[in-house]
Amino acid sequence: MITDPGEGHIAGQLLEPEVTRPRGGVRSTDVLAGVVALAVALHFLAPGFLDAPVVLAWSTVFIAVCLQAFPFLVLGVALSAAISTLMPPSFFARVLPRRPAVAVPVAGLAGVVLPGCECASVPVAGSLVRRGVAPAAALAFLLAAPAVNPVVLVATAVAFPGQPAMVAARFVASLLVAVLMGWLWTLLGRSDWLRLPAPAHQDPAATRAGAFGEAMRHDLVHAGGFLVVGGATAATLGVLVPRRWLEEVAGSPVLAVLVLALLAVVLAVCSEADAFVAAGLTSFSLTARLVFLVVGPAVDVKLIALQAGTFGRRFAVRFAPLTFLVAVAVASAVGGVLL
Amino acid sequence: MTRGPDRPTQHVLLLLLGVVVLVVAGSDRYLDYVRAGFRPFLLAAGVVAVVLAVAGLLRGRSRGDGHPGPAVGWLLVAPVAVVLVVAPPALGSYTASRQVAPVAVPPGGVTALGPDDPGEDHRTVRLFDYLVASQSAGLEGRRVRLVGFVSPRAAGGWYVTRFVVNCCAADATAVRVAVPDGAADVAPDTWVEVVGVAVPPLTDPAVGYPEPAVDAVTVQVVEAPAETYE
Repeated sequence: MITDPGEGHIAGQLLEPEVTRPRGGVRSTDVLAGVVALAVALHFLAPGFLDAPVVLAWSTVFIAVCLQAFPFLVLGVALSAAISTLMPPSFFARVLPRRPAVAVPVAGLAGVVLPGCECASVPVAGSLVRRGVAPAAALAFLLAAPAVNPVVLVATAVAFPGQPAMVAARFVASLLVAVLMGWLWTLLGRSDWLRLPAPAHQDPAATRAGAFGEAMRHDLVHAGGFLVVGGATAATLGVLVPRRWLEEVAGSPVLAVLVLALLAVVLAVCSEADAFVAAGLTSFSLTARLVFLVVGPAVDVKLIALQAGTFGRRFAVRFAPLTFLVAVAVASAVGGVLL
Repeated sequence: MTRGPDRPTQHVLLLLLGVVVLVVAGSDRYLDYVRAGFRPFLLAAGVVAVVLAVAGLLRGRSRGDGHPGPAVGWLLVAPVAVVLVVAPPALGSYTASRQVAPVAVPPGGVTALGPDDPGEDHRTVRLFDYLVASQSAGLEGRRVRLVGFVSPRAAGGWYVTRFVVNCCAADATAVRVAVPDGAADVAPDTWVEVVGVAVPPLTDPAVGYPEPAVDAVTVQVVEAPAETYE
């Protein structure tokens, strides 16, 4: 990037992307213009494609998932931005007990009152470790915060009307996973697996409101992008994959649990939105969908990427698979009891 | 292409997304995707996105920052493009025809349909209520009025169809009532009002499970309602 694109030339970039192209590569606005041009070209060159029933059905489901999840995403991003920019950093270290074995469940429960999207909870957990919180407690918070906070539980209740057991099961299973993983880290974890996170880049000139808005914008663009991936996958599964395949997979309890667990990892839907994706997977049992809801916020492709970036690769390759196993086992057990 | 959108582009994407959400929620179009009660949340979220984006654009103007964001942010353009270019309508006969399992009926549901509409010799019922009621005996001979769209039926005639939606169109389940003597000249996705006599459920060999059915007395083409889902 040779020229600075932030100097207020937005309109110029949109109108003349070719003229201002730098040597280093394609500019953001070029891609944006290209996508718009492609859509317009498709509209005129292949109108029949856009009117095909399968395209319309896919688009309807895709937009439905995105719209239904969007307000929850905005709310979750606002709350997590408030926590990361408006609360004093020393707060958590002060209130958490010193002994890790006790701090783990406390930190897990703290996730209940401190809502955050999973994308946001990774950097929060990183800064907790940096400020002297026991890693086990920070990890319990990392797993609990995106899964058991009020926003996510309300979203789950909205997505599963008339099934309060689903909300309770999600809460219990996710909290159990977080606490178990925290304790497992206390027992087995080695500090050299953790590469202590570097301090986050902070603009010293930024006001609190400015930092809040900046954090929210960044998280919304980030999480929104992953939501689009999730919505597109849900629409593809619902519209393109033959229903008989889904019915057959869903018909076998073990296969259903495994498939939805893997799907949660691959889909990487934000925890504020995943309940709506799960609600759409109507042919699967409630237990299988609970597994989806418990695994998703704990381990998925974007979380693994974020964790590797924040805590280092050595950490991520150990933590993610173990979390996956624990989450599937705990969610299946809780689902068997409660659902 | 692994580079993320730079700051101004992120803000433009966010602005587009917010505007599209406001446009969809500002008209009846949102009813094609989510439940009616969800409108205030959509409007609020759309306003927040627009305000954030505009504030970001104004800040970027004075500060200047070319730091690229996450590459996945590009995908925000997808819902915007789909809404503007494809403009998907409510789910219709294509999705309904793909359903292969019978609709799950809650145990102990409604069995009585209630009195006829005032001044009429039939009762207007939701398709789902008719489905539930048709599974208990004693409905035969009752005249009912059903409103839905037409979807094709392999064993002759067509179905009058409606989707039941819990939360958004992703969880839609098609409720289909067979009209075996339905005239062939009614195209799929046409909205019709069927007044007919209740008959016992039929088993369509193509689907293999019993489906509710009516003997149509009158079939009238009607306008699609704003809220197409039940």
